[in-house]
Amino acid sequence: MEKVGIVGYNQVKLYSDANYGRYEMIFEAVRGALDSAGLKKKDITTVVSATNDYYDGRTISNALTVEPGGGYLADESKVEMDGAHAVLYGLMRILSGNHKLAVVWGGSMASSFPYHTARLYETDPIWERPLAYVNDITSAGFQMRAYMEKFGVSAEDIAKIAVKNRKNAAKNQLALVEAQNPNLTVKDVLESEIYADPVTELMVAQPCDGVAALLLAPEKQALKITDNPVWVIGVGYNQETYYLGERDLSSSKSMELASKMAFNAAGVKNPLSEIDVAELFEAYAHEELILSEAIGFTEKGKGASLSSEIGGDMPINPSGGALGGNPPCATGLIRIIEAVKQLRGEANGYQVKGAEKAIASGQIGLCAQNNILYVLEGGN
Amino acid sequence: MSKRTLRKSMGYIKKEYPRTRTIPASWYLSSYKFKFNITHMKPFLDKLKQKKLVGLQCSSCNRIYFPPRQICGKCLVKPDRWIDLRETGRVASFTVTYLKDPETGEVLERPIVCAQLDGADTSYPAQLDPDIEFKDTYIGMPIKVHWAENIKGGLMDIEYYDSIEDSAKDLQPKEE
Ligand SMILES: [Zn+2]
Repeated sequence: MEKVGIVGYNQVKLYSDANYGRYEMIFEAVRGALDSAGLKKKDITTVVSATNDYYDGRTISNALTVEPGGGYLADESKVEMDGAHAVLYGLMRILSGNHKLAVVWGGSMASSFPYHTARLYETDPIWERPLAYVNDITSAGFQMRAYMEKFGVSAEDIAKIAVKNRKNAAKNQLALVEAQNPNLTVKDVLESEIYADPVTELMVAQPCDGVAALLLAPEKQALKITDNPVWVIGVGYNQETYYLGERDLSSSKSMELASKMAFNAAGVKNPLSEIDVAELFEAYAHEELILSEAIGFTEKGKGASLSSEIGGDMPINPSGGALGGNPPCATGLIRIIEAVKQLRGEANGYQVKGAEKAIASGQIGLCAQNNILYVLEGGN
Repeated sequence: MSKRTLRKSMGYIKKEYPRTRTIPASWYLSSYKFKFNITHMKPFLDKLKQKKLVGLQCSSCNRIYFPPRQICGKCLVKPDRWIDLRETGRVASFTVTYLKDPETGEVLERPIVCAQLDGADTSYPAQLDPDIEFKDTYIGMPIKVHWAENIKGGLMDIEYYDSIEDSAKDLQPKEE
């Protein structure tokens, strides 16, 4: 694969109810990414955004984002998935050989609409909606229960992940204030309000307001723009069946296959020893364990035994992960940005020492139906 | 959805924001009709009218879908073999949902389950007997179809699932 470089990024501070209009937030993210790379509007040749019509309360959610997103008289298009999927599209635009700079941005304002209600409409209207009240949270209840039962994992083990990520988030200035808690205990997590038994409030990545942007360039151009590019050396992408009842919810087949594809491309044979840091999109605390097992960091069911704090064997989500704030359509993109920060030594306050190779993932769908994984390498 | 989520969704009380204003809006476009094939489920619906259950088997991978699926995603073919199923099954996973009683406004805790019928390879979200306590539910719990009073030939004919004893006679395959 020809090398594609990440040459700039920016993320706005996450808020549960931002004192911002949507378009100003987009502008701040995209303008800031250009500024971080010393670039101008005229340098942009293609723009790929990740937004969602329902979340934005209109059809064609990218119609009003032309100006703030940098798409004015540019090659522009939208992905209605996670921001990490928009990066894949941006990557393809660069690899087509037609473009010198891709802006990829994504985000939304969850304070503007009832997010979990919207997700009720993800279930099958014929077979599932009339029978039971299933949305992202209740399906996560099925998933966590299936995982605990299959491998004998305790709720405490899962609460520990919430504690770790929320503690990490306390070190990340851009994380959601409500998610930052340096003094959180396992007991607090287990005793927080039950959302869908056994999932409790503090195990849920809270939907919030936020936008992030990333700049991609072909190798030659990337080296002209910055001395410190981060290279995309592998990507894998896979999706499972839509029906929950057809899936083994205790593991993630799609992440297993996505990571296999990404590691093949990147020449990674032993992820645990070759990868220095991982930023995974865990919509719920237990998903971090399921995903890290699928990636191959541990055997299935053994994820909780891995020391995944900053300074541990495999630091996972040093930024706080999605539990540090989950702006729909931006969360996976933020994972990539956080991995880039680690590789450039720019993760102030939560830097993993000597990180050279990182992975970052995005997801969509109930119970992480669809996963995408990037392998990134520091430039210099 | 949990009580908490309901609350969050309903009332947005904005603090004093000097930089933004909020206009209440909805984007109700119109009602929607979901149009779907019944060609692949006709025998299934006919059997329901007789209080009988059938699953649809993919002749390529042999998986048995209940409820029937028009397409087998694994093989990209239409499953076409009808297989008789018993009324019993197991809880594949479960959680709890919070439903508001439209009359009293009371929020009810209801366990919902992924119900997998014996002989089927797939499960689907379904309700349990409302009298079953949530704490008594477990993965692998044997269950049996509770038929609705008025059978109409639809999946709603299975009103909910009763819990049955592990040693229940129903769980034994019938001698043909
Ligand atoms: Zn098949």
